[in-house]
Amino acid sequence: MTKQHIHSIILSAAIAGLCLSTPAFAQVDAEEIFKENDCHKCHHPTKAKKGPSLAKIAAKYKEKKLDEKEAIKHMTAGKKVELDDGTKEDHKIIDTKDVAVQTAVAKWMLNR
Amino acid sequence: MKKSALFLGVSVIVAGCASMTSGPQAIDWNKIPATKVTLFYPGQSSYEWLRSEAHAGAAKETARGDACVSCHDDPKEEQRQGSKILRGNHPLEPTAIAGKKNGYVDLAVQAAYDDKNAYLRFQWKTQNPYPGTEHQYLRFDGKEWKVYGFPKLDKVVQEGRQPGIYEDRMSIMIDDGKVPGFAQQGCWLTCHDGQRDMPKQFTKEDVAANALLTALKKSDVRKYLPETRGNPSDWKTGKSVEEIARIKEAGRFVDLIQWRAHRSHAVGMADDGFVLEFRNGDAGKDMFSGNADSKTHQPKFMWDEKKVGYKSITADQLRKGDHFLIREQNAVPFDPNAGWKVGDMVPDYLISREDAKGSAAENNAVASWKDGMWTVVIVRPLGLANSDDKTLKAGGVYNVGFAVHDDNITTRGHQVSYVKTLGIGAKADITAVKLN
Ligand code: HEC
Ligand code: HEC
Repeated sequence: MTKQHIHSIILSAAIAGLCLSTPAFAQVDAEEIFKENDCHKCHHPTKAKKGPSLAKIAAKYKEKKLDEKEAIKHMTAGKKVELDDGTKEDHKIIDTKDVAVQTAVAKWMLNR
Repeated sequence: MKKSALFLGVSVIVAGCASMTSGPQAIDWNKIPATKVTLFYPGQSSYEWLRSEAHAGAAKETARGDACVSCHDDPKEEQRQGSKILRGNHPLEPTAIAGKKNGYVDLAVQAAYDDKNAYLRFQWKTQNPYPGTEHQYLRFDGKEWKVYGFPKLDKVVQEGRQPGIYEDRMSIMIDDGKVPGFAQQGCWLTCHDGQRDMPKQFTKEDVAANALLTALKKSDVRKYLPETRGNPSDWKTGKSVEEIARIKEAGRFVDLIQWRAHRSHAVGMADDGFVLEFRNGDAGKDMFSGNADSKTHQPKFMWDEKKVGYKSITADQLRKGDHFLIREQNAVPFDPNAGWKVGDMVPDYLISREDAKGSAAENNAVASWKDGMWTVVIVRPLGLANSDDKTLKAGGVYNVGFAVHDDNITTRGHQVSYVKTLGIGAKADITAVKLN
């Protein structure tokens, strides 16, 4: 089992605790949702791809004392993002409106 | 019945491999490292789709030539992609094949070479509990001989009017570094809208009105490389035959070797072709040819009853033996007055090692299917100097793409790999080991 997997299991266990009213999410696997949504195609754990690496995002959030609410904005608003070559593009929107799931994904990202 | 066909099959391989006593059978494959390559179902992810907004967030990057794996690099990426496309309701797979087919195939690849040949060994599990060695037939309906059995993406199979029958295949595309973009985007350079079973499929009228395809005497649209078109995203914009000849001379084409479980395996071979302005066959003659007479629509050959015990088979005998019709071994000219009954079937293709000639006839293969798994060793001579071949030589590193057609299907119905490198004794994703 990879470190990431262990992480997501611990996380989903934590979420399960928070979401007693919605037992359907007792099995949220944040990493799986992240990848099902193609997020990993632009956000690598350590390497800069089209988007910044998870490590870089986590470090930035820590430094600027931002939290998962800010991260959720990025994955739900479809805001323009600026690319390395100066052009702009709409950011991907995650395919769930469930805030608990979005929070799980955001936390998973920020814990890299 | 099974025995006789099998016996003949083995003897031809032995005869054909007389020069290979030091060849694939003698190699201890346990000593050669295996590389796992995951192939995935690409659906209709054409050159054009990849450069469109539908490939969200990746159109521009793909158009400028970025490598697919610069984004698609997750350890489980191919599994995810193939499964997603075949889950149902995916824009890249419009047919009901979704849900009925494996999204990915794990292919084990091993490679070795000696002074004469490269030996490429492939193993993969088939979806069916039988090897896909059957191919389409000519069936007597009481009046006429009609094609029986079609690939599973065809409407007649989807609507249940015909059974799915099509040979399994293992294909390799080879580039020696000369084809612009192949090292980054591999096989996807050759796959376009307009081709068979792709979006905006050609019409007969389109093809008949097309200068390049009429010059080539072709009646459909198949794989092509971007450089052969004025606009790579429009198959209709073919360059002149002279310009295309110059591209070929400069070596900017890819080799395409296909091992076919019916039409080449029966005689211990793999076919040899190349992709440039079309999916061409190499010069010379293939090991297979159509068995239907173009005028009478009757078979040209049938089985030799004296040798195999039957002239034809019926549908209930499918998958119960190797039903290969081999010109020099078990075939005799068709007798229209042999008392044919409704349902009698003769293979739609005639196979022959003896008739195969020239550059088209240079790849050999030894294959077997056991416990749900194909093991195929393709034997490719080193140093081929034909103008339609990529020359493999010791020390060379090549860009390669692999594909498997499994479960009675053709065209896009394959699982494909992202581009890999193959080194003949040189360091690469797959390194061929020198044999002593
Ligand atoms: C097509 C590429 C692409 C995809 C797919 C993508 N992103 Fe992004 N993402 C970017 C880029 C580029 C940025 C940088 C924006 C910036 O710096 O202004 C970014 C930024 C972000 C940020 C904010 C980082 C910050 O500095 O505040 C978050 C959070 C994020 N993405 C989450 C996601 C999630 C979750 C998904 C999947 C639903 C996803 N991304 C899919 C390209 C992508
Ligand atoms: C810049 C990054 C990038 C490059 C380069 C890229 N892709 Fe993609 N690809 C993506 C993203 C992001 C998606 C998901 C798009 C969506 O549906 O939101 C995707 C989706 C796909 C899909 C659909 C299945 C899936 O995974 O969702 C296929 C097939 C695909 N890409 C193949 C390719 C091939 C083949 C190449 C090279 C010729 C390529 N891609 C190059 C980022 C990329």
